Amino acid sequence: MKKRKKILLILGVLLIVAASVGLYIYKEYNRTHKDTADIKPDHSVIATDLIKDFETDEQGSNKKYWDKVLEIDGTVKDITRDERGFYSVTLGDTASMSSVRCSMDSIHNNEVAALQKGNAATMKGICTGFNADELLGSDVILVRCVVVLKK
Amino acid sequence: MKKIILLLVASAILATGSYAQKYFTKTGKVNFDATSSGSPEKIEGVNRTVTCVVDAKTGNMQFAVLMKGFEFERALMEEHFNENYVESDKFPKAEFKGNIANNDKVSYAKDGTYTVTVKGKLTMHGETKDVETEGKITIQSGKVSAAADFQVLLSDYKISIPGLVADKVSKSAKISVSCSLEALKG
Repeated sequence: MKKRKKILLILGVLLIVAASVGLYIYKEYNRTHKDTADIKPDHSVIATDLIKDFETDEQGSNKKYWDKVLEIDGTVKDITRDERGFYSVTLGDTASMSSVRCSMDSIHNNEVAALQKGNAATMKGICTGFNADELLGSDVILVRCVVVLKK
Repeated sequence: MKKIILLLVASAILATGSYAQKYFTKTGKVNFDATSSGSPEKIEGVNRTVTCVVDAKTGNMQFAVLMKGFEFERALMEEHFNENYVESDKFPKAEFKGNIANNDKVSYAKDGTYTVTVKGKLTMHGETKDVETEGKITIQSGKVSAAADFQVLLSDYKISIPGLVADKVSKSAKISVSCSLEALKG
């Protein structure tokens, strides 16, 4: 009798462990991306300063900003929408070719409508790096962006 | 009268030469699909921040892609893509530099769709390999769109797939490129 209880107990524990491992794997496998709006930024920077940082030291800036959540203040230079409805917002100095390019998270598309060219805005997104280009102007690129504040 | 003729001639020259020599975009799309045939699990990521420049005169074209910019539906897949496969912290950029072999067949000033052959070098994961593919260039009222599909062997770029997931991840990835280009002013 005692032995049987022990076996049952062990079996029960094993079952719980197996179920929780299974649940963890299932959840982890199906995990979607966190909404950028809910993530605290790692750095808060001004758009033009961020561009300057990358222009002067790309490697160092990559170390500092790459894959980090950045909150960027700047002037809205342009808002474009592609044929599939994805928005892209550029921030920075309108006189310069270089920008901070924010690829907007489509679930936050409605916020983009409130932005206006030439006005100040604060955006949040994940930095994917820097594309230096003499001809087209260099860009710091952010993905999964959301609008934090518009003015 | 002379002045008027001069003006007319000048504007005629300007008009014929007014179509741009270069076209570009910074919001081009590259789709990466390594779904294994027969596997129900889609392994697909899209990058919407691709820079592309096409020189209408020479047919030269260039693409620049930040690897971290590939977005996958599943967060775990995106992490694995970046950390284990393309190692985007070590190799943050992919680049294609090439040429439209039959560029003389494309009249950029006229509306139409052209099938082109693109040849060039693709650099990814620190490896550079020759790539040749057929693509389409469409001209519509001054706008140029470019699209192409091609396969890359992951082993060519020293991207290894662990045995555990070998039946889920295809050995060759289908890369689909689509860009709507604007005329470059200046």
